Amino acid sequence: MESVKSEPAASPTPSETTFDHVVPSRTERRTLPRTWETPPAPVPPPHLDDYQSIVGSAVLDELRFLARDLKGKSLKMVNSTAVGGGVAEMLNRLVPLLGELEVVAHWDIITGGNDFFEVTKAFHNALHGAEYELTRHAQEIFLTCNEQNRQRMQFNEDVVVIHDPQPAALIRARQDHSARWVWRCHIDLSNPHPQVWGFLRPFIEQYDAAIFSSQSFARQLPIPQYLFYPCIDPLSEKNKPLDESFVQKVCEEFGIDRSRPVVTQVSRFDRLKDPVGVVQAFKLARKYVDCQLVLAGGGASDDPEGAIVLREVKEAAGDDPDIITLDLPPWCALEINALQQASTLVVQKSIKEGFGLTVTEALWKGKPTIAGAVGGIPNQVIDKRTGMLVHSVEGCAYQIRYLLTHPEFAAQLGRNGHEHVRENFLMTTNVRRWLLLMQIMLGCGTV
Amino acid sequence: MMSAAETTLQRTPVKPFYFNTSAHLLRITKYTASTLVELLNALRECPEDSIFQHTFRTLEEHHFLRAGFSNDFAHWALAACNEPSLAEALAGVDVREFTSVAELRARFIQILESYLRENPESSNRIADETFYFCASDMVVMPTSFQAHTLHEFAEGMRRVSVHSIHHHFIEARLRIKLMSNDFSQWLHEDAGLTETARLLNRIDIYTATLEDVRQQIVRIVERALI
Repeated sequence: MESVKSEPAASPTPSETTFDHVVPSRTERRTLPRTWETPPAPVPPPHLDDYQSIVGSAVLDELRFLARDLKGKSLKMVNSTAVGGGVAEMLNRLVPLLGELEVVAHWDIITGGNDFFEVTKAFHNALHGAEYELTRHAQEIFLTCNEQNRQRMQFNEDVVVIHDPQPAALIRARQDHSARWVWRCHIDLSNPHPQVWGFLRPFIEQYDAAIFSSQSFARQLPIPQYLFYPCIDPLSEKNKPLDESFVQKVCEEFGIDRSRPVVTQVSRFDRLKDPVGVVQAFKLARKYVDCQLVLAGGGASDDPEGAIVLREVKEAAGDDPDIITLDLPPWCALEINALQQASTLVVQKSIKEGFGLTVTEALWKGKPTIAGAVGGIPNQVIDKRTGMLVHSVEGCAYQIRYLLTHPEFAAQLGRNGHEHVRENFLMTTNVRRWLLLMQIMLGCGTV
Repeated sequence: MMSAAETTLQRTPVKPFYFNTSAHLLRITKYTASTLVELLNALRECPEDSIFQHTFRTLEEHHFLRAGFSNDFAHWALAACNEPSLAEALAGVDVREFTSVAELRARFIQILESYLRENPESSNRIADETFYFCASDMVVMPTSFQAHTLHEFAEGMRRVSVHSIHHHFIEARLRIKLMSNDFSQWLHEDAGLTETARLLNRIDIYTATLEDVRQQIVRIVERALI
């Protein structure tokens, strides 16, 4: 396979990539991108002014004003990983932007052995409702590791934010410091394992506030609870505008015919994303409208269950040449972006969902979106206003037919969805929330 | 058509207009509803800033929708409870007719009580989704825009954020306790433009986006400048 070289220090831009210009035949269709066989070099984070053309100068002025009262104040973020996952991705963008606003932002990572991360992985699954036997040994591993990190770390900032359950017991350090402590929970606590939640809850109650990603993810707690929707960065590889020529080349690479409607679902090959249901809905819809289906995701190569689900999808697809399944490595953000931009409709027919950032990405790209009414999706898809909510294969099939045959209505959904994201789910909104939280925690400003 | 008195006063407002704005942080409260009776009970007990959040603030969060979105209670009644006539009644509540949250709360309670009296079978039907009462903590802040003349006012209107427009044009009535808004008050009291102020008050916020509202205000003010 041909690979493309990129300069390590520079952001790989679409124009630097090279592709074959020949549309592959059906049998030659590729399932891996020709562009990257290894992760590209990280892209430098954008500056605040880079967002001006997207949100306007008045919104940036508001951020600068909010930050003015916080000048010299400091914030520490603590989580369990520096790379991979949505939290690290968000902090990689947020921390430099806060620094640019002269709010001193530090980011620390807890360390721990395999035993600690095995316990916290089990906690994570149990808090999502999985079966688990919480042993005294697991509790000791969790508490010992948190104590070791507490002794290693400094907490001299004005506000300390602890992300997720892994470092939650660091709250014990607040006895020695005058900071305000906030617990940022990124997971769905609506149906937690009682034993695990019972173990963690006494720690959480010692915080000054908690933050959740959706109203429905929160628990009843005696501390204030704030709602921070997850966000996307409009300047990231996954969301930035692309040259049309690059979009076209990616489509050619994967054998997508852009002269016909393209319906796309981007998600891991996971049963909770119901990719087989999407294939069924597509087949029902295509009895009436001509279209192609692209199922683009990952997880099949490093997750045994993902491989099984991918096999099920391929079985459901049969030899249908209009169903294109792509198992992409995690560093294919540009290609995912291009596939979304090339889509006529985007589907996210999840059965269970966290917030659903792939929906946010589709809405931001102005794509008419059909999504399952689960998890945080209804916060984004306001039925018939910013997208269409569905509850079944048949409902999904009908909406594919309807939107493909009513392009003006579909375009209006796309425009509304784009504005919904601009107002509520962009990185700049997230910066504003953090500044507001600091003001409220520290008693600054006119609250 | 502006009066002669207005045209003589319009270029020398008594006081400048200072454009402010507000930012809000969403708080999750302990109140939830899975049935219409639970919604009614929570409406009676929830803090005032919850009523504010689900009426005034939600308009700001959905400012880009031109039609079909009024308040979160109406949206829930339709989307989660499938009660279209109740949804219509709740959506018909116009926040501009209220100068206090207490009055607004009383109106929602009245509509819901009346509906449940006539439709008792709807009272305890479980909704598709739970309604979570939120509230918001607010920070008010100045902007870099101020207007000493009508020209500067029109220019400020073009350039401030939609949050500033919401702050002055929609939220303001709770602050000033008048069936009006900050822009109209300034145009009337400090610029002597009573008719212009009245025209601003007639802009329909429920059939326009906040960007539409901005453009309508600019057009009305520009007409006063001719």
